[in-house]
Amino acid sequence: MSRVFVILFTLFRSGIVGLRSAAGTALISAVTIGIALFLVGAFALTIVNMEGVQARFSQKLSVTAYLETDVDDEAALEIAERVATVEGVEQVTVVGRDEALERFRGMSGGAALLEGIEENPLPASLEITLVNLNRTPQGLGILATALDGLPGIDEVADGREWIDGYARVTSLVRVSGVAIGTILSLATLLIVANTIRLGIYARENELEILALVGASRTFVRTPFLIEGTLQGVVGGIWAALILWLAYLLLMPQLEYGLMFLLGNAVPRFFNGGEIFFLVAAGAALGFLGSLASLLGWRR
Amino acid sequence: MAAGKVSFFERRDESPVRMYHVSKSYIPGQRAIDDVSMELAKGEFVFLTGQSGAGKTTLLELLFADERPDDGQILVLGRNIARLRGTGIPSLRRRVGVVFQDFKLLPRRSVEDNVRIALDVVGTPRREARSRVFNVLRQVGLQHRRQHEPLALSGGEQQRVAIARALVTEPEILLADEPTGNLDPDLSLEIIELMLSAATRGTTVLVATHDISLVEKYRRRTIRLDGGRLAEDTPAAGGIG
Repeated sequence: MSRVFVILFTLFRSGIVGLRSAAGTALISAVTIGIALFLVGAFALTIVNMEGVQARFSQKLSVTAYLETDVDDEAALEIAERVATVEGVEQVTVVGRDEALERFRGMSGGAALLEGIEENPLPASLEITLVNLNRTPQGLGILATALDGLPGIDEVADGREWIDGYARVTSLVRVSGVAIGTILSLATLLIVANTIRLGIYARENELEILALVGASRTFVRTPFLIEGTLQGVVGGIWAALILWLAYLLLMPQLEYGLMFLLGNAVPRFFNGGEIFFLVAAGAALGFLGSLASLLGWRR
Repeated sequence: MAAGKVSFFERRDESPVRMYHVSKSYIPGQRAIDDVSMELAKGEFVFLTGQSGAGKTTLLELLFADERPDDGQILVLGRNIARLRGTGIPSLRRRVGVVFQDFKLLPRRSVEDNVRIALDVVGTPRREARSRVFNVLRQVGLQHRRQHEPLALSGGEQQRVAIARALVTEPEILLADEPTGNLDPDLSLEIIELMLSAATRGTTVLVATHDISLVEKYRRRTIRLDGGRLAEDTPAAGGIG
């Protein structure tokens, strides 16, 4: 067994002994990290789901070009052929005036609205889908500009406004999450730092002896960093577990509401990598809290 | 090397401790150590005496780099104490054992753990550490008490644990600050005998004490401090080392 391995083992054991000797305060510290990460994790989960919806909507984006009412089906086909040559267009489907009327009738309340109207008021339209690369708000904008100049096209409807609005809401949630996460992280750092400081005071006698027998500063300080990091790991695992339980318990209740909000998609939980990141964030909080405590300790 | 010449390194081996005109003050104008010069030879056993406040503890603290001198030079095992930086202090202390009057043991750790702590900091492999701890505890007569906690031991036994911790690394220098201060006369003799046996194995031993009966009994070299100044340096009687 090499000396380095022996020293690492000794430092790790010393960290565990420190945790056990101040189990109460260490638990409070771990729970605090857990609460902070739970709240940040809840925000993160909301954001990843909202971003997922945004991405899915972007993928399904299509543009509807309403033709002038005097354009008949034959002329509509000609316009469609021209539109198909515009850069970025994948497919153009013509919806004739009669078909538009049928669709409208099929909609809830549509038939009642059409009562008493003898002439078909609906124009023919073109449903245009874009190639993958152009399925973005910017791609839609370029297409809309190109269609504006074509004769026979009365109005172009695209989902840009909806997408932009949704993106703004997602951004607001993200900014709120980052702000709350930052404040909670700072508060958590202070709590971890104070917990570790208490541990240092409680073990001052031992630290003095270590210094007398020739322990280096790193040897004296590393167990406290290990202690803080372990508190963070426990807090991170605790946060992930509570989030998962909350997800399991709340999902049946909120499923329909969320599916509507998320555009018919089932909200997902974190994947393995994201859970690892959450636990690693806990470890980082614990490590930094300990480091802050040790930097202020000059003995 | 030419015969008859002594190199710097050989000279350093001869004198593990050298102090030249060393002074140290805690309060301006009031010197705890005042212009002290001395040398200790390898394997030498020396008493450091003087009344309370004479500067014995300060002198020992200077030697294990717990304090820095204001003036003068201190060379311990060839290292200049005034210039020690960073990792210099820990690496020096691994070669210098220190024993205190109040033992400085960890009350909730076993005797074995208390002694092994000095080996842990240098990463001594477990098996080797266990064997060395057992051997040193046998030297101080406590091998059968190695699983006990210090509070279950008598004062003399606790001091022997502290000596075992100081000796387990086979230090080149052993400093002891009033090691018999809390012990009865019989136990005091046991402790001094232990440190004498360390000196016979080549360790330079400096024992601060105000117990004149011990000094008179052993008649070793005795350095007396008075008001921080070196008042007397009496050599060992009858050529004792």
